[in-house]
Amino acid sequence: MLRRVNWPAVALITPAVIALLAVGIYPLLFVLDVSLRQYQLTKPYLGTDYVGLQNYLSVLNDGLFWGSLGRTALFFLLAVPAEVVLGTLIALFVDGTRCRLCSAVLRVMLVLPIAMTPTVTGLIGRLLFNRDFGLVNYLLSLVGVEPIAWLGEPEPAMITIALMDIWQWTPFVALVMLSGLALVPQDVRESGHLDAGYGWHFFRNIQMPYLLPGLTAVLILRTVDILKLFDMVFVLTRGGPGVSTELVSVYIQRVGFRIFDMGVASAQAILLLVLCIVLSRAYVRFFYRQIEA
Amino acid sequence: MQLSRLSIKLSSAFALGSLVLAACATPPATPAPTQPPAAPPAQGGTTQQTGEWSLAKAAEPYRGTSIKCVFLDRPGYRAAIQLLPEFESITGIDVQWETMPYENSREKQVLDFTGQTGNYDCILIDVVWIGEFASSGWVVPLEKFYKDPALADPKLNLEGFFPILLESFGTWNGVIYGLPFDNYSGVLFYNRCMLEEAGFKEPPKTWQELKDVYGPALTKDGKYAFALQSRRGETQSADSFMRMIWPFGGSLLDENFEPNLSSEKSLAGLRFRQELMKYMPPDIVEWDHDETVQALAQGKVAMITEWSAFNAYFTDPTTSKITDCIGYAVEPAGPAGPKPALGGFSLGVSAFSSPEKQAATWLFIQWITSEEKAKDYIRAGGVSGRMSAYEDEELRKQYPYFEPLVVSWKEYGNPIFRPRFPEWPAISELIAQTGTEMMLGRISVEEGAKLLDQQIREILDKAGYYSGKKPKLQ
Repeated sequence: MLRRVNWPAVALITPAVIALLAVGIYPLLFVLDVSLRQYQLTKPYLGTDYVGLQNYLSVLNDGLFWGSLGRTALFFLLAVPAEVVLGTLIALFVDGTRCRLCSAVLRVMLVLPIAMTPTVTGLIGRLLFNRDFGLVNYLLSLVGVEPIAWLGEPEPAMITIALMDIWQWTPFVALVMLSGLALVPQDVRESGHLDAGYGWHFFRNIQMPYLLPGLTAVLILRTVDILKLFDMVFVLTRGGPGVSTELVSVYIQRVGFRIFDMGVASAQAILLLVLCIVLSRAYVRFFYRQIEA
Repeated sequence: MQLSRLSIKLSSAFALGSLVLAACATPPATPAPTQPPAAPPAQGGTTQQTGEWSLAKAAEPYRGTSIKCVFLDRPGYRAAIQLLPEFESITGIDVQWETMPYENSREKQVLDFTGQTGNYDCILIDVVWIGEFASSGWVVPLEKFYKDPALADPKLNLEGFFPILLESFGTWNGVIYGLPFDNYSGVLFYNRCMLEEAGFKEPPKTWQELKDVYGPALTKDGKYAFALQSRRGETQSADSFMRMIWPFGGSLLDENFEPNLSSEKSLAGLRFRQELMKYMPPDIVEWDHDETVQALAQGKVAMITEWSAFNAYFTDPTTSKITDCIGYAVEPAGPAGPKPALGGFSLGVSAFSSPEKQAATWLFIQWITSEEKAKDYIRAGGVSGRMSAYEDEELRKQYPYFEPLVVSWKEYGNPIFRPRFPEWPAISELIAQTGTEMMLGRISVEEGAKLLDQQIREILDKAGYYSGKKPKLQ
């Protein structure tokens, strides 16, 4: 027996589906198509013929691509664990404080860094970490530390971009964790305190299970964010000095918009998309198991 | 055709937004035309032929037309913006502009050309883009306008531009595509007071002298003798890397169009740069124009080699502490003599604008680069490409940097300081990367030069220069 079509529901959903197809699916298919072609924007005389998987092979054999991916992984390892730890500590503090005003003010303050555009974050970083005029070196000089060329040496430059990312995104992690903590039922909380006190055991056994879904979301979003992180790094270091802060998105931008090789840039983008999907699936599988356990 | 273009444009826009991997959207595929569109109708031509030419009469058919220019946030553009109202009141043409960072200006214009969107009418052409823009048919040969009596000011006088500027920024393969607008020569800016305190009556005449004599004497108490802007990007490849190669007799390519960075003379220049770093701020590889100019203006550095266009920063008391101490000289000489950096921008007309907009754009370009407006442009902070402006005694007194500037353009100018062929942007990217790694000591000068030679040859070979498909034009 045929079910009756719910036309009002179809009418309500259709615009959203069309929008999704237009801004999500069609461009993805377009980029997939371009990644299979020779597509050099500034050399139209070369044509745009299909070249099979040649662009993908050239990406996989490109040492610079792998190097930039390695630096992106290093950046992730520097930034995200620090953001998770600090964000969780802030969330626990805000959740546990009895001062309602402090809690309200802190919540507003947490939104401010997230609301800042990455370009402005990069510009602030350039001022803060300037070797001669920057606030960071000034503060360090008060305790006798010699000026550090934060942006002029490879390792300090990587630390600088990680610090700016931590500054901007720790509040986001804190807000997500805070929403997780708010889910702990009052009766569970009270009986937890009776059984486990207020310390580590209470956090580990009562609060942490409620934080894991948020942590999964944080990991997925931060992974995706870091793989596409461009503006802040470009303004702060332009990928330099040398290639020391050239993350994968900065490299793709260079291939796409400096050399205008859209075929190769699109292949790189598709490979990153695949990487994002694989990592996201891994996070979900691993952390949801933890919850079930 | 229209539909397919539209769909392609939409695709590229959406690709940017929706793909998580933001940096690699795919703009349109529509090939650029090999020939620019047909010339605009010489509207009003008959009227002009009967009477004396005037800007107001020539602009009559285009009154109410709106054109858009690509500008940078630099003194020459601010000067043009100051003068714009006069042009608009005479002609009734509305001149809009979009100020963008240099780093994005080529990208934005190329996307505009390849999408054939015609967003920009008045095109900014860097000396190193002229080959790409002209050979791709993205800008209109200007003879279309200056040979049209309705549009050409009888006082246009193309010979009145410094020949090296018109040749470098404006001409490709013998055809003029742009008129010199924002004109630079590298100049040695120095803090006369710092030099005098250290016992020097004049600036160094050679790079060797700068390093061996001035360097040790002026590098002390947290101050440095010299700063060479070397941030990764065109700043590294043009302002730092190429600046050191030429005075030592080196070059990017030799007379046979073969990469030449591994030659002894090129290597000598690059080794010299490494030695000179002892007298530069430690984080110099992250210094762009802004940091370098500020360091001199704030008295942290004694000497810099920078574009003449930055002079306004040193003479303005709101941006400079050394207004009474600023001095100017031709860039120091190397074993091959003085080889000051040459750079700058011309203004051209987009091949994708409507005929009316093209004509209106031409009238603006002709006016802003004219001999008549050259002195006003200089007084507003610009650097004109007109020879006559620099003969004015009053201006010469007011702007002492004129002398090294004019000498550099007339006597030492090198039109291929950076090659202007379309492959330069790709080569520049490689030099920017390996050049900074050389400065950081992550790769030796010799290995870096060898690597770059290989990469440059590969690019030129792929482009068809060695197979004879392309003429060996720089």
